[in-house]
Amino acid sequence: MSITNDFEYYCPSSLDETVKLLEQLGEQAALLAGGTDLIVNIKDDLESPSAVIDIKRVSELRGLDIDKDKLFIGAKTTFTDILDSSVIKDNYLLLWESARAVASVGIRNRATLVGNICSAVPCMDSAPALLCYDAIVHTVSKTGKRDIPINDWFIAPRKTARKADELVVGVTVPLPSQKNSGCYIKLGRYGGEDLAQAGLGILIRADLEYRIAFTAVGPIPIRAQKIEELLKGKEIDQDLLKQAKELVAEEISPITDIRSTREYREHICRVMFERGLIVCQQRMNGEIINTVRILGG
Amino acid sequence: MSDYKYIGKPVVRIDGKEKVSGAAIFTDDIDFGANLLHAHIICSTEAHALIKSIDTSEALKVKDVVNIFTGKDFPFKFGLYMKDRYVLAQEKVRFVGEQVVAVVARTPQAARKAAKLVKIEYEPLPAVFNQLDAMKDDAVLLHPDLDKYPHVPWFFPQEKTNIAHWRKTRKGDMEKAFAEADIVLEDTYYVPRYAHCALETHVAIAKYDYSGRLTVWSSSQSPHTQRNLFAEALSSLGLTHKDVRVIAPHVGGGFGGKAGVTMEIIPAAIATKLPGYAVKLRWSREQEFMNTYQRLGLVAKIKMGAKKDGTITAIDHKIYWDAGAYVEYGANVVNAVGLSAIGPYRIPNVSIDSICIYTNLPPGGPYRGFGYSEFIFGLESHVNRIANKLNIDPVDFRRINAIKEGDTTAYGAEMNPSGLHQAIDEVAKAIEWDKNRESKDPKKAIGKGFAIFWKAPAMPPNASSSAFLKFNEDGSINLLISGMDIGQGYQTVMAQIAAEVLGVPPSKIRVENPDTDRNPYEWQTVASHVTWGCGNAVKKAAIDARDQIFALIERVYHLSQDSLYLEDEAVKCHTKKDFYLPLKDFVINGIMTEDGTFKGGPINARGVFMPEFSSTKGDPETSQGGHPNVHYTVGAGALILEIDKETGKMRVLKAAEAIDAGKAINPDLVKGQITGGLLQGLATVLYEDMRFDKGGKMLNPNFSDYKIPTSMDVPDEIIPIIIEVPQPDGPYGARGIGEHTMLPAAPMIANALEDALGIRIKSMPITAEKVALTLLDKEKEK
Amino acid sequence: MKEITFILNNEKRSVQVEPSETLLEVLRDKMGLKSPKCGCDRGDCGACVVLLNGKSVRSCLVLAIETAGMEIMTLEGISAKNLNALQEAFIAFNSFQCGYCAPGIIITVTELLTKNPKPDLEEIKEVLSGNLCRCTGYKPIFDAILDVTGKEVK
Repeated sequence: MSITNDFEYYCPSSLDETVKLLEQLGEQAALLAGGTDLIVNIKDDLESPSAVIDIKRVSELRGLDIDKDKLFIGAKTTFTDILDSSVIKDNYLLLWESARAVASVGIRNRATLVGNICSAVPCMDSAPALLCYDAIVHTVSKTGKRDIPINDWFIAPRKTARKADELVVGVTVPLPSQKNSGCYIKLGRYGGEDLAQAGLGILIRADLEYRIAFTAVGPIPIRAQKIEELLKGKEIDQDLLKQAKELVAEEISPITDIRSTREYREHICRVMFERGLIVCQQRMNGEIINTVRILGG
Repeated sequence: MSDYKYIGKPVVRIDGKEKVSGAAIFTDDIDFGANLLHAHIICSTEAHALIKSIDTSEALKVKDVVNIFTGKDFPFKFGLYMKDRYVLAQEKVRFVGEQVVAVVARTPQAARKAAKLVKIEYEPLPAVFNQLDAMKDDAVLLHPDLDKYPHVPWFFPQEKTNIAHWRKTRKGDMEKAFAEADIVLEDTYYVPRYAHCALETHVAIAKYDYSGRLTVWSSSQSPHTQRNLFAEALSSLGLTHKDVRVIAPHVGGGFGGKAGVTMEIIPAAIATKLPGYAVKLRWSREQEFMNTYQRLGLVAKIKMGAKKDGTITAIDHKIYWDAGAYVEYGANVVNAVGLSAIGPYRIPNVSIDSICIYTNLPPGGPYRGFGYSEFIFGLESHVNRIANKLNIDPVDFRRINAIKEGDTTAYGAEMNPSGLHQAIDEVAKAIEWDKNRESKDPKKAIGKGFAIFWKAPAMPPNASSSAFLKFNEDGSINLLISGMDIGQGYQTVMAQIAAEVLGVPPSKIRVENPDTDRNPYEWQTVASHVTWGCGNAVKKAAIDARDQIFALIERVYHLSQDSLYLEDEAVKCHTKKDFYLPLKDFVINGIMTEDGTFKGGPINARGVFMPEFSSTKGDPETSQGGHPNVHYTVGAGALILEIDKETGKMRVLKAAEAIDAGKAINPDLVKGQITGGLLQGLATVLYEDMRFDKGGKMLNPNFSDYKIPTSMDVPDEIIPIIIEVPQPDGPYGARGIGEHTMLPAAPMIANALEDALGIRIKSMPITAEKVALTLLDKEKEK
Repeated sequence: MKEITFILNNEKRSVQVEPSETLLEVLRDKMGLKSPKCGCDRGDCGACVVLLNGKSVRSCLVLAIETAGMEIMTLEGISAKNLNALQEAFIAFNSFQCGYCAPGIIITVTELLTKNPKPDLEEIKEVLSGNLCRCTGYKPIFDAILDVTGKEVK
């Protein structure tokens, strides 16, 4: 199906140039990185930009910058780049696993993490990791730079804190100060490429701080604060686990749609939560656990 | 064992190099140059409505738009078995997605841009989306003129109702049989609609040239049937069959969806209005879901009686089909099932009602399995339940009742030779039926499911095949046939048959995709019949060529024809060991005799096959008499299923399927059909189904939400088993197996679930979600 | 219209494109390369996969204009000399039926084998999970890949 919408194509090579273009074109412009969402939206007439700004040649947006206590993920970083990074696999396993959950290789070679959080579709895979790690989103515009905590980033389905003239330069992901482990568990309708019907990221630290975030079970991805507070500082036992599982339904607000029912989503979130916590504990103890078929099937 | 050289051998596919190198040309790959026009179809947004007005004035102003057509431009009906369809909707639309307006432009972009400017005003009518509702007395009628629609004589439409066809089969004394049964079980099963999901969507290009001939390039399982329907539909223009040419390049998957005619008639009709241009129409994936045949949904009510010893005494099978807005092909699915819905069992007392019901959903039609997958879900679930209730092992229960050669079918004909019992035994052995497996993981349960199946080709009694075979100077062969290789490997198998007769390796036989101008008649590539039907025609053509060769040798060398044989691309003689004449020495240029003259000439041969014993002349009230099905192919399947009790996720640890191919001409290709067909079947039960909103609009017309399986979703192990009880009238004993491979999948899953967890799910699909929620409900009840 | 130049199947080529044209459309309609197929046009099926700078991408989701200066490889480019061992294995194991998905799958596997010449079955399955095949049931595809990488085919 051809694209019927005509647009101008811009391919700036610097950040300044991009910011200027955004200032001039404002809401008429769509930013293009991987294009895996944008091109589909344009084909379906969900978006009709009069200009497309391809940011892939902006050198400042390049790749991964790994520091000892933080990781910078530039806007051009694809999910494949994340998966190919052994540093991320070793230190940010939750993030690495969420990248692996995104579609399949032909999409991951193009799709970017920043694009994922800018699209902000409710079923996105990358948000729980960023929420658990307390990531910061960096934007730039003619009026200046902003650092936005990921917790304030998501406003509504497909709506973020980004202003029309702002460019997201990248995301900083702080490395937890303590020994930690994590996992990402995704419910799909089958083993192959699917959009999440529910997703859960868990990060646990040696000092018994727990970070838990859900995706696809509410209008925006969220941290499960009640559960985190309940668990904080405690070792998990059967009793505590039971209490925590009972809170899951209070944290999430799933709907019934073509992909799943509210009832099943709620049920599966409890199962994922329990299995996820166990995986994290096992990983904390140094065990290598494969989560690909953690839900069975 | 036989001493065949090419039959029964894993000969490599003759289309291999083309397909792995990117050289294979599919319909959309053909270039037509700058004079190509692109049609874009505006589809109905209403499920049932009168078309009040269509305003194309703004759209016509768009740059590069050539013309816009509506129903009034093509005021005629078409259809394969019943003429109830239209090229473009006439005054009424009957489903969301129905083709209403065709915008033709020089670029696809212009056509789509203009389409956005066409204004269509509808006046909604009451709509009906459920076949049981459509049967009610006060239901809105989709086709008030149903009684006037032309149809084949073996269809029985009920005028002033939504019933397009009602196939009844009756045998024995039902009342007595149920009274005498020790157990009678009655229940209802539900199967939704499904989509074929061939990776290549429908596409056709038509050109009506200035000399008055119409050529259509189309991705098709049925080039000759398409030619016939185009010529019939367009006869008012003075077109005759010889003026219509259908060229069918490689097909990117069919599964029944590209049988008959669906959208191809639109560019064909448009082309006649725009002489000199080639007009292309290509369905988007969304249109492919909404506006081609879909597999019909059904509600099946089964009542079955059996004795304590396990003998089935009677079956009453009432099947209500959701056939959609137009049933021209789908009604034959209903017909086929109405004859065969007792399954592969010997049952003396039978009542079948298979009812084809119009609804305001997309047209139902042929889909791999042709109705059998659908009824076998209920039937094989039901049989398992009765066996369990009688405390008889489900496999033994099937052994007791499974049909054998010489038993009578529901309509009174004799069952053909069949390896069903052998299939049951071999599958039970392969799956280790007697061994119980338990999961080490307390969260998981393991169960086993078994099912048997049969299916006959559903085709008119005069569905015929033919073949031309011609030699080239080097002794290589061009085999001209008109079946389609839709992936199953038909061209390779036909080459093997000709190769066996003529002693020429298959690699030296070229089989091309057909062109109806040049290749001889083939009814259609459907019904798993081409190996059998066209195979017979090819064998006859090869024998014709051989006879011509032997006659020539006898004439020139005075060797008795009986003493001659073909081997290693040469003629040899049993009685004269030193006689050796390579084919290449004479098959075109003949043989020089002593006086310098030449005898013979190009060897061109022909073969025709018509199943002359087939007849649809059964009694309309009982279906007794006649011989509507040429034969049945049978088989059995079993699987071991692991279920996560919390999430409902299922994993097939092992699956075995046995099929009686009569003779597997190419065993590797038969195994390939089993592996592929089984997964397609498992997908219908585990993942797929078409969802519609309350207004009849499909909710998941894309692969994001209509989930066909991926490489991550295959069984851990598949054991394909070939049984060979020869079909006496098949080429080398072969019969078709293509569709059958998916038939047992759904009940195997349902039966395995009951075995593992004691839950019985009676509606498809059986998704992880459905299993998990069923288990949760069961827990709550406790 | 804008002229772009790229390296297509090892040849430097130039072509006029509209910004709204996808790479798939340009390859098929303007460059005459028909091996990338359109199966869904929204990135779901993998039939249009080509290598872009060595990485598999869905050409229906790439604007042609983005690829200026890049290297593109389609199945035609891979087949230009002889069929390679992977392609031969696809024939030997009947790893295709209708053949419509074959170009995308062979390209995807080509990328995999470049990255990891000895993938295990689970990796093969995961990498192929974005390429739909409706005919084969995938197992013959796994078998061909395992065979060509020297692993035992069960």
